[in-house]
Amino acid sequence: MLGQVLFSGLALGSIYGLVALGFVVIFKATDVFNFAQGMFVVAGAYLAVTAISLLGLPFPIAILFILGGAALLGAGIQAILIRPLSGRPILSIIMLTIALSIVMRALIEIFYGPSARTLTTPLPSGGFLFAGLRISQLHLTAAMTSWACMILFGLFFRYTAIGLLMRAAADSHEAATVSGIRVEAVNRLAWAIGFTLAAIGGMFLGQLQVVSTELESIGLLALPAVVIGGMQSIPGAILGGLLVGVLEQLASTYISPKASDVVIYALLLVILMVRPWGLLGQRAINRV
Amino acid sequence: MSEAVAPPTVSVAGAPAWRRWALGALCLAALLYLPTLLTERTIFGERLSNMQLLNLGLTQINLMLIAMLGALSLNYLTGCAGLISIGHAAFYAAGAMAAAVFGTQLGLPFPLVLLASGLAGAAVGVLAGLPSLRVQGLYFVLSTMAVHYLVNFVFLEYQFRVFDVVGIPYATPSLFGFELNTPIRWYFFLLALVALTYVGLSNTLRSREGRALLAMRDHERAAMSAGVDVRVLRIKVFGLTSAIAGVAGALYAYYLSNATSESFGISFAIQFIAMIIIGGMGSLKGALIGAAVWLLLPSVIAGFAAEIGRGPGILGSLLGEHRAQFVQLIFGLLVIVLLIFAPRGLAGLGERLETLLRQKGRS
Repeated sequence: MLGQVLFSGLALGSIYGLVALGFVVIFKATDVFNFAQGMFVVAGAYLAVTAISLLGLPFPIAILFILGGAALLGAGIQAILIRPLSGRPILSIIMLTIALSIVMRALIEIFYGPSARTLTTPLPSGGFLFAGLRISQLHLTAAMTSWACMILFGLFFRYTAIGLLMRAAADSHEAATVSGIRVEAVNRLAWAIGFTLAAIGGMFLGQLQVVSTELESIGLLALPAVVIGGMQSIPGAILGGLLVGVLEQLASTYISPKASDVVIYALLLVILMVRPWGLLGQRAINRV
Repeated sequence: MSEAVAPPTVSVAGAPAWRRWALGALCLAALLYLPTLLTERTIFGERLSNMQLLNLGLTQINLMLIAMLGALSLNYLTGCAGLISIGHAAFYAAGAMAAAVFGTQLGLPFPLVLLASGLAGAAVGVLAGLPSLRVQGLYFVLSTMAVHYLVNFVFLEYQFRVFDVVGIPYATPSLFGFELNTPIRWYFFLLALVALTYVGLSNTLRSREGRALLAMRDHERAAMSAGVDVRVLRIKVFGLTSAIAGVAGALYAYYLSNATSESFGISFAIQFIAMIIIGGMGSLKGALIGAAVWLLLPSVIAGFAAEIGRGPGILGSLLGEHRAQFVQLIFGLLVIVLLIFAPRGLAGLGERLETLLRQKGRS
């Protein structure tokens, strides 16, 4: 029983980690605490519905459609909405992302109707027994894809020239601008990456459950994940995602399904009180 | 918050005293006449169509007045004291829960129940404000969000232990023998309460503590060096504003005669932030404007939809089938446009217009 719960917790946690990673990329680059990240997850799921169910594209092309669409949307949002608000107080920016998620939800429900849809892809969906555990292939694929993406982006930030530019721009906008980096282009790229990572998570979550705007609340679990892990830290986001996934499954199995949120947010509150910079973050935040 | 927001004390400079008095009397007369207008639906013997009344009823007005209490207190907390909170629904929930315990379960008189709701709201508010002693900015926003989920869970557990899935029932309240059983009675009670809250809050801003509050928002270090104990002040503001929100929560539950944990979800908290952004951050008048727009616009749009009818084309489908989403879309876009082009909200826009007109008149 415990092993089963841990497995599904870790698998879901990997998806949360992926969404949280997208969140951290956006936060590091533009200092925007993105409450619309949950809606980005929903948008990813609906992009998958559009490509696979509505347009009937072959699976590899559908994947390209999802990734490309998500990247374009992310870059567009940065250019139209985020850039005009740079340097504003945090409430304005938080509220902008909340308003963005309200608009996105309304648009999605107008275009696709408010009822939920099922998403079927050619990905393996059976299950098998391993060491006494019932392993769902879809959970396993989701977890492995998430890990592949996380490793890929880790390498990208560490070893490529663009990754270096992004880290430099995140470190200090002024210094990066002086050195001739086009910070705006880098920021746009960060939003594109952040949206894409959320969309990949959304594609899997849409398959594991049903596709509806209610997926937003699952996507929003990336927020506590990020803070628990450490807001400036990429490994922290992944660790936070895994922790949130496992905690959620443990709480809903052993306490009650209604308790999963409260356990996660209670942990968040404890972390904020005791170690506000997060488990793996650096101790450089404004303390009173 | 580092950005300077206009001080909430609005001076009507230039206008002579008699004109201000006349304007005030006119407003008062309009407010007193409004419920008669909305229930009888005639003006000076002339019958008004639904559209001429903007499809408004007294119920929406009353709900707007209750929302004004919430928006006023949140704007005081966020706009005047600079403390951002996504936990406003939690204070409402605490007030409604206290009303359930003392009103529905124990059957205490209504004024005592309201007092208890205020105290419960204040208690949760002080609790929610405690993290502000340790963390700032974004981290504090998140701690209020965490408090929201904790309170919501307690409400859910309470609701299911004592009542059931339908929610908590609330009886018709009576104030010293005066039963609040018609919308008109509610209207006058709520109107008095909102006016009292508005005047009270604007007066505190002119007091010593109020000035300290604005100083703390504008420059915390400077306020501290001027001898303001910002830690105590923050907790006090949280207690005061969440007491108001707690009372508003109890009134909301009593007015709808039912409350569930879903009534006070995170989107309930977000709508108050949207109200103060639409109205204008830091301006108490703006809080009233924002609450009015947020609560009345949906029914105005519904009225238009009924007028235009289920026509073909995009507009027909938007106004008919997807009206709820359409309203959300308009609100979302309104907030975005105001944030980008008019950060001081509709109240700020109004003031800017006034100055422009005055300059025109002078030249």
